[in-house]
Amino acid sequence: MPSNHCDTSEGGGPPEWLTLALEVPPLDVRPILADGTDPYATVMASADGVILGGSLVIDAPFNPSPLRRVMAGRGFSSYGRKLAEGHWRVFFHLDGGTDWESGAEVEVLPEGAMIWREEDGIHIDVRKLPPPDPLRAIIRLIESLKGAETVVVHHEREPHFLAPELAERGWRIARMASEVVNVRLWLERES
Amino acid sequence: MFPGSLMLGANERLLPPSVPYRFFAAAVVFHIAAWAVLVAAGPDEVAGFVGGAGPVLAALHLITLGTLAMTALGAAIQLLPVATRRPLGPVWACRLMFWLYAPGVAVLAAGFAVMVPWMQHLGGTLTVLGLAVFVWLVAANLRQVSDLPGMTRHAWLALAALVLLAALGLALVVDFTTGFLGGFLPDHAAVAAAHAVLAGYGFMGMLALGFSYVLIPMFVLGSAVPDAVGRRTALVSGLALVLGAGGAVLGLGWLAAAGAVIGLAAVAVYLRGMAATLKTRMKKRLEPFFRLVWLAWAMLPASLLAALAPALGAPLDPWATLWGFLLVFGWLLSFVTAILQRIMPFLASMHSSALGGKPALLSHLAPRRPVDIHFGCHLAALALIAAAILGGGSWPMRLGLYVGLAGSVSFGVFAVLVLRRYRSHMKAAVAANHKG
Repeated sequence: MPSNHCDTSEGGGPPEWLTLALEVPPLDVRPILADGTDPYATVMASADGVILGGSLVIDAPFNPSPLRRVMAGRGFSSYGRKLAEGHWRVFFHLDGGTDWESGAEVEVLPEGAMIWREEDGIHIDVRKLPPPDPLRAIIRLIESLKGAETVVVHHEREPHFLAPELAERGWRIARMASEVVNVRLWLERES
Repeated sequence: MFPGSLMLGANERLLPPSVPYRFFAAAVVFHIAAWAVLVAAGPDEVAGFVGGAGPVLAALHLITLGTLAMTALGAAIQLLPVATRRPLGPVWACRLMFWLYAPGVAVLAAGFAVMVPWMQHLGGTLTVLGLAVFVWLVAANLRQVSDLPGMTRHAWLALAALVLLAALGLALVVDFTTGFLGGFLPDHAAVAAAHAVLAGYGFMGMLALGFSYVLIPMFVLGSAVPDAVGRRTALVSGLALVLGAGGAVLGLGWLAAAGAVIGLAAVAVYLRGMAATLKTRMKKRLEPFFRLVWLAWAMLPASLLAALAPALGAPLDPWATLWGFLLVFGWLLSFVTAILQRIMPFLASMHSSALGGKPALLSHLAPRRPVDIHFGCHLAALALIAAAILGGGSWPMRLGLYVGLAGSVSFGVFAVLVLRRYRSHMKAAVAANHKG
């Protein structure tokens, strides 16, 4: 898999600041998303109240990579863990954002897309990337794959321009599911 | 969970394929018609054209309104909502726009060719009404967008130029038949020159630059053009446009020349942005349509250099003729046919999986030979006609016109084949669905 940055903190254990963050009660945004509401404003309002050295903990139904990028821009390092299917817990720590990918178990492609493995295949999160970077990242990933692995794309909209490019490369969109801010596409090689 | 991410759904953004394709089909037909009218007009009329009603003006508007703007309208209503992720407006308004605009262009061009005033008035009115619907649709979309300044600033400038050029165009049409204009504006030729600047560099030029920032990176899988580049080209090219059009309408050659020089600076910034995208592209081998893009990019600064000559006092014949030719046929027609060549099979492929089957392959939908012939003919026509404008001589002009016509017919064959292959793919998909 191509990568310009491979997270290694998993091997070195969680960050030291996690001890403090574990004391913070999590803000569970899953019910907000289930209501069809974007919890971005709620998260940002909570982040506003965090002082330097403080922490914020979010429970989400997926790894909220774009949120982690946004929070990194506001000075938060982050550390994420998949607790169960459809349940991620992400710890944010306000320290200048020097360590924002920590524990995410992700690789980052040159376009900024994050990829990680789950049981159902290789996941790639291209949300919040400027066009055509989502298309570039997905094509880069599938061109690097040799076997018959499924690629699960996390997008913020249906990517209309993707299907023709996939077809040219012998891939197809096998199915698609739309949730709030998470359109998921399962890509498979043509049989 | 992310700002601005709750936008419209996918189905609301994709128009039925018949809507954009009617614009593209009309553009292809008007393209052939324009060259046919030029052939019929003959080399002598074309070579010395510096304005005035007649078949050459008709052909010019068949290209500018019929091919260039028609393609821009069809592409904009399809791609703008996808790019901005905001709704465009009702589909009936897009259809209304077409049914006002396409007949309007045909009647206006016929009115110019046969010099019948009521046809010019009717055609001009219908055309402007169609464009008014376009302005309403696009402005409503752009008003909701704040996150794509590079592209949207060019689109706003294009709309502003469109409003001005349409007003000047209507005034010019009325002036042909009543002659009222001489009383309060400098002269007909000056207003016509400003109309041409606003049309070529304003409406079409700004749209071409704005859409380049979206389409070129996508077609070559290159990196996104930074918004700062788009903001810079919008600012510099907007200033150039004001000076160029202002200098033309006021008859101040030095002001128009300053506009051309600043326009060259804008082109330099634009081409640097495009070069950066191309440098990072994932498609190492560029597709055939890109030959026309290279040609267009060479012709854009060439047209601005040619504009300096008449602005600084050189005789209108041949310099204004050469400038207009390089602007319309060199830069804009090359660019628009490049985009049409890529976008027609691309949209067909995009829509071809609507029934749930495998999408048609781009490489299957786009036949190669017709576009090779078109490119060769287009290039030869540019060289021959430019040489004839500068050096005189009837045979290179005549040959150039015939070669241009042959190229447009070949492009028409390409368009027909794309649509036929798309339809046969869809028929097969329907049959497979019935079987399943």
